[in-house]
Amino acid sequence: MDRVDLDTIKMLPFYCVIIPLIASFCMPVLARWKKEYCAPFTTAVTAAVFIITIIIGNHVIKGRAISYAVSGWRPPWGIEILVDPLSAVMMMLIAGISLCIMVYSFAAVKYELERIVSGWYYTAFLLCFSGMIGLVVSNDLFNMYVLIEITGISACALVAAKGTRLSTEAALKYLLLATVGSGFILFGIGFIYMITGHLNITFIAIELAQVRDQYPILIWTTLSFFVVGFGVKAALFPLHLWLPDAHSSAPSPSSAILSSLVVKVYIIAFVKILLIAFGLEIFHETFIRHLIIVLAVIAMLAGSFFAFVQIELKRRLAYSTVAQIGYVFLGIGLGTPWGLAAGMLHIVVHAFMKTCLFLCAGAIAYQTGRKKVNEFTGLGYLMPFTMGAFTISAFSMVGIPLFGGFISKYGLALGSLEADLPLLILVIILSGLLNATYYFPMIGQAYFSQDGDSNHGEHGSNEAQKKFKRDEIPLSMLIPIVVVALGVIYLGIFPGTILKFINQTVAVLL
Amino acid sequence: MDLELILLNFPYFVAIILFSMGTLIVLTQPNLVKKVIGINIMETSIFLFFIAVGNMHGGVPPIYDPQFPDALYVNPLPSVLMLTGIVVSFSVTAFALALIVKLYIYYGTVCAPNFMKLK
Repeated sequence: MDRVDLDTIKMLPFYCVIIPLIASFCMPVLARWKKEYCAPFTTAVTAAVFIITIIIGNHVIKGRAISYAVSGWRPPWGIEILVDPLSAVMMMLIAGISLCIMVYSFAAVKYELERIVSGWYYTAFLLCFSGMIGLVVSNDLFNMYVLIEITGISACALVAAKGTRLSTEAALKYLLLATVGSGFILFGIGFIYMITGHLNITFIAIELAQVRDQYPILIWTTLSFFVVGFGVKAALFPLHLWLPDAHSSAPSPSSAILSSLVVKVYIIAFVKILLIAFGLEIFHETFIRHLIIVLAVIAMLAGSFFAFVQIELKRRLAYSTVAQIGYVFLGIGLGTPWGLAAGMLHIVVHAFMKTCLFLCAGAIAYQTGRKKVNEFTGLGYLMPFTMGAFTISAFSMVGIPLFGGFISKYGLALGSLEADLPLLILVIILSGLLNATYYFPMIGQAYFSQDGDSNHGEHGSNEAQKKFKRDEIPLSMLIPIVVVALGVIYLGIFPGTILKFINQTVAVLL
Repeated sequence: MDLELILLNFPYFVAIILFSMGTLIVLTQPNLVKKVIGINIMETSIFLFFIAVGNMHGGVPPIYDPQFPDALYVNPLPSVLMLTGIVVSFSVTAFALALIVKLYIYYGTVCAPNFMKLK
C-alpha cells in the first residue's frame, strides 16, 4: 500500500465524525428551504458514513489500528483519534443501525412528530450520530467529555422532539440526571489529570503504571467517580431512573436509537478508561470489579422484574434494556477473555434486538394504535412480517439457540466459569427465564389467542382474523424491521465475523 | 490534620463542598429552576477544581516574557479546557430552561411535585 493511500485511510475516522457534524448544522437551513429534502439528505450522510466505516473495518481487521492526530498536533498535546478493532466494529454498528433507523424515520417522523419540528429532529439525530462515533474513536479524555455532552444533549432533544407533556418531562429529567452524570465524569477526568498530567489515554496508562502506588486513595476516588458518572449515563441499575421514562415517551425511532446505541457508547468509553487507562492491575486490585458484578447481577434480575409488571409495551422494552445493560456490565466485571468478549458481543446483539423491538412497537402503534402489552390479539395475522421480526428478537432476548442472544449469554456463562464464579450461570439462566415470562405471553397472544377473550371485535369476524394479511405499514418502515431481524439471526448463526474484531481488542486488553 | 496543609489545599475543599451542595440541590429541590441552579453550582465547582489543579504557587500567567525567560508559569491547559466546560454548561442550562418554559406553559408552575407524573 503506498503512502498516499495510507494517509487517506488515516483521515477516514475523522471524516466519520466531521461529516455528520457539518451536515447537522446545514439541516435547519435545509428545513427552512425544502423540508422534504431533509430525510433523504440525512439518509445519504448516514449511508456515506456507513460505507466509510466498512472501509475502516476492512483495514483495521488486518491488525493495523488507525491513529490520527487531529490537525497535526502530536498525541501528548493534541487530540488523538485511535481506531482499534473494537472501535471499528462499534463504528460499523452505530452507522448501520442508524441507517436502518433513518430509513424507518421517513414515515415514522411524519406520523409521530409535528411537521414544524421534523427539521430539528434530523439536526438532533445527526448531532447524536456524530457524537456517538466520535466517542467511540476518541482517545483523548477531555475530547471524550465534550462528545459525551454532545451525545447527551442531542439525545435529550430526540426525546423532547415529540413535544407532548410526558416527553418534555422525561427529557428534562434525562437532561438533569445526565448532566449530574457528566459532572461526575468531568471531576474524574480532573483527578486523572491531577495524578498523571495527561489527557491522552495511552499516555495516562504509561504514567499511571508508574505512580499508582503513590496515590492509592486518589485512584479509588477517581474510579468511584467514573463508576457513578458512567453508571448514570449508561443506566446501570440503581442509577437507571431516567431511562424508562425517556425511552418510553420518545418517538419510536428515537427510542430505538437511545436504547440500542446511546447507552452503549458510554459503556465503550467506560471500558476504554477502565481497562486501557487504569489498566488491568488496578482493575483487579481495587474492588471495582466486585462492585460492577454485584450491580450487574441486581440489574439483570430487577430490570426483568420491573419489565414484567409494566403494562405499556415501550415501557416494558425500556426496563428490558436496564436488564440487558446488566449483561454487558457483567461481562466487563468478569474481566476474563470470554466474559469481556461476550459483554462486547452483547452490545452488538442487543443493539440489533432492541432496535427491532422498538421499531416493531412503533409499527404496531402506526397500523393499529395499540400500545399495551395485552392488546396483541390477532396481531400475528394482521401484521405477519412485523410480528415475525418481533418474535425473532424476543427469542433472541430470551437466549434461544440460533438467535444472537444465545451466543452472548453462552459466552457470559463461559466467562463466569473462567472467573471461578459458577453461581453466576444460575443468574444468567434465571434472567433469561424472566425474559421469557414477559415476552412469550405477548407472542402467544399474537398468534394463538383464544377467540373468547378477543377485545378487538371491530376487525370483523374471528374467521377473518385468522387469515394472514400483508402489513399495512409503508415499505420504508417494513424494510428496516426485516433487515434488523435478519441481522439478529445472522449474529446467532455466524457470530465469528464480529467476534474476530472483538477478540483482537480483548487479546490486547487482557 | 495540619492547618498549613488545609490552607494550601483550600480550593480543593471548596470545590468538593460546592460539588456536593450542587448535586444535593439537583436531586432534592422540588423547584425546577433551583435544580438548574444546582447544576450550575456543580459545574462551577468543577471549573474551580480544574483551575486549582493548573495553579502553581508563585507562578505567573503563561505569557512569554523575554526579560524572565525561566519564570515559573501557571499551567494554562486546565483553564483552556474549562472554556469548553463553560460552553457546555451554558448550553445545558439554556436547553433545560427552554424545557422548563415549555412545562410552565403546560402546567402553570415550575414546582415539580405538583405535576411530575413520572417518578
